[in-house]
Amino acid sequence: MRNKLMFLISLLVVASFVLAACAPAATPTEAPAEEPAAEEPAAEEPAEEPAEEPAEEPTAEEPAEEPMEKTVLDFWSFTNELNTMAVAYECLHPEVDIVYTQIPMTAGEYQTKLLASLGTEDAPDLMALEAAFVKEYIESGDILADLSDLLPDAEAANTYKFVTDVGTHDGVIKAYAFQATPGALFYRRSLAKEYFGTDDPAEIQELLSDFDKYTEAAAIVKEKSGGDTYMVASNGDFQNTFWANREQPWVVDNTLTVDPMAEKYVETAKLFRDEGYEAQATQWQEGWFAGMNDTLVDAEGNPKKIFSYFLPTWGLTYVLAPNAVAADGSSDTTGDWGVVEGPLPYQWGGTWIGALKGSPNLELAKDFIRFATLDEQNLENWALGVYTNEYLAACDPEVPEDQVQNPGDFVSSQNVVEKIIPLFDDSELSAFLAGQNSYAGFAAAAPLVNAELMQGSDDAIQRAFNDPMNQYLNGEITEEEMWAAWKDQVRIEMPDLIVP
Amino acid sequence: MNLTLSKRNYYGYLFIAPFVLGFLIFGLYPVYNTFYLSFTDTTLMSREANFVGLQNFQRLFADDVFTNAVKNTWLIWLLNFIPQIGIALLLSVWFTSTRLKIRAVGGWRATFFLPNLLMPAAIAALFFSLFSFYGPVNQFLVRAGILPEAMHFLQNVPITRSLVIFIQWWIWFGQTIIIVMAGMTAIPISLYEAAMVDGASSGQMFGRITLPLLKPILIFIFVTSLVGGMQMFDIPFLLTDGRGSPSSSIMTNNILMYLKFSSSRGHIGAASSVGVLVFIMTTIVALGIFYFLRDRD
Repeated sequence: MRNKLMFLISLLVVASFVLAACAPAATPTEAPAEEPAAEEPAAEEPAEEPAEEPAEEPTAEEPAEEPMEKTVLDFWSFTNELNTMAVAYECLHPEVDIVYTQIPMTAGEYQTKLLASLGTEDAPDLMALEAAFVKEYIESGDILADLSDLLPDAEAANTYKFVTDVGTHDGVIKAYAFQATPGALFYRRSLAKEYFGTDDPAEIQELLSDFDKYTEAAAIVKEKSGGDTYMVASNGDFQNTFWANREQPWVVDNTLTVDPMAEKYVETAKLFRDEGYEAQATQWQEGWFAGMNDTLVDAEGNPKKIFSYFLPTWGLTYVLAPNAVAADGSSDTTGDWGVVEGPLPYQWGGTWIGALKGSPNLELAKDFIRFATLDEQNLENWALGVYTNEYLAACDPEVPEDQVQNPGDFVSSQNVVEKIIPLFDDSELSAFLAGQNSYAGFAAAAPLVNAELMQGSDDAIQRAFNDPMNQYLNGEITEEEMWAAWKDQVRIEMPDLIVP
Repeated sequence: MNLTLSKRNYYGYLFIAPFVLGFLIFGLYPVYNTFYLSFTDTTLMSREANFVGLQNFQRLFADDVFTNAVKNTWLIWLLNFIPQIGIALLLSVWFTSTRLKIRAVGGWRATFFLPNLLMPAAIAALFFSLFSFYGPVNQFLVRAGILPEAMHFLQNVPITRSLVIFIQWWIWFGQTIIIVMAGMTAIPISLYEAAMVDGASSGQMFGRITLPLLKPILIFIFVTSLVGGMQMFDIPFLLTDGRGSPSSSIMTNNILMYLKFSSSRGHIGAASSVGVLVFIMTTIVALGIFYFLRDRD
């Protein structure tokens, strides 16, 4: 009998842990609403006087404590690149210690961790926000601090309009970005010569200037290569271009809306699958990278090639260039790439930085954001590769050995971009593109980028698309079932959305 | 006399206080708070939250996503639990058998337990790479002529489900063997000796001695596995895209709850309603197991 009772109790205890997982998430509901204001009056005070010398602020507060004590800023991001900014800032401001935390976002871990931290003591002072979810943070009134103070700096740096547009909601700007990320189409020059008789970017662009032409070209590539070269790695590669050219946002009047462009995307993807124009090498997976350095092998062991990749500014420096050489060095496509605007203009990704509302070090956080995203000298250093590992190690000896900012990232300040374009005429990147200055090309595209359709719910809605789409392309379900499955998926994450 | 007695009682409470406190704070309060949240539209993105009654629950039953998740969870759990307990019983009987005298039992047991020591994330990544479109399994099967061309294994419903079931079984059967063997070695050997003297067969000894005396252990395995199974998350979450793909076929209760929690606005109110229903379901079933397998004398 006693055993039974014990068992029952332990059973209930065990069962209660079924739900324990929800516990940490539950805290932010009520308490934090007042806490930050009550607990940190110091943060409110400096906010009233617009920061004229924000960098001085922390030093002014310091003498009360130990003179050597550094002001700590917590900074969370999803890649290691912004750690370079953090170290560069610490270099100029030895009194500041930016504690950089990197959390991957492969399956949304970063977003989850960040969401769960909001309203708790763990919430970082500074947060990197990726294009996929930045808008949700901007739209919410409770998370990010108003950064309107910095607008004059943005105007002075001539920051691209879409960059500040993304950071703005209802006339209040809450995040800035150090980069602008217009997209382009990269193609293999040797293959272009073989199939189209030319590798000249102007002529290639002419051949691929809209999606009908791109599809026609795909047929030629397939025919002339005997099926050994695919036009594109996967249908996911060109998904962004279709999303970027919709005429209405996903959510209109709180109702899920399907733009004709979404239907066009499904149609194109189906055609590419059925005709064998795509390698079915999903983005960010092994086959996708293998295609970049010509080591893609199908299941039977036959070598396959991929003609073109849709990639934005960062895709060139962070993805294509580093992966152009095979891991074993057996093959190298460096110098065999060309870049054109491609069938449709688009932008992909980009990282914005916001500061936590109610952060005790808000002024300092703002100054870091100003430095990282609006300071022309810093952006120039960033784009030109001044931040080498040696440079960073001189500031902070503990910096990891792979921490470095290679030249070529496309920055958000039009002033800086225009100033440094000529410097890329004869750079490592232009050698990668057989002499083409990619920076000039991106500079032409950046002012055309339109971010007005961007909404906080985009990411969830677009991610929900992939599985139903794959099932449809594999022939498991009909197109009608695909749309229904997608809507079910959307409903899971957006209970308040009207899904017709 | 009275004083010492009361003092003793007082110490007793003191000794259990850490557990009780820990339980109240980390066990009971979260449960209470989850129930509370499930009646609200709380999100992590805004500080306003309204009481919405049963709306979250109504929404769960408005389409078949939730019922599908419950079905998936039961299917995957049952199909991994039945072979798990079956093979664990068989191997344990062999390992403890005085007739077979298998050597290096400890070594076998450790080998079977090894997968349990691996991180689920590593296992999922391993299987993900093995079964990817350009992965080794496709290469092997196509080159051996078994498949005409490479296929997307992880976009195929039966294959993906089978993989999850296999991985779950593979991770957990070693652990079950250890518990079952511990239970079997605790059964007095004299009972078997007496049975052998009476001419009982192996089957009779298993059915009449081993199973009845093993019942408390089996109930324990049953209930803990059920609780774990209903919370199955890591392998199905990490094996595909974290959304229970393909076709929501490996979407479990907890993946659904997590999706609601990690959605763009962090709908923890809606996520809690999933948690509450899973809690109720698990409790009822666990109590049911306990009731039906109780000592009837």
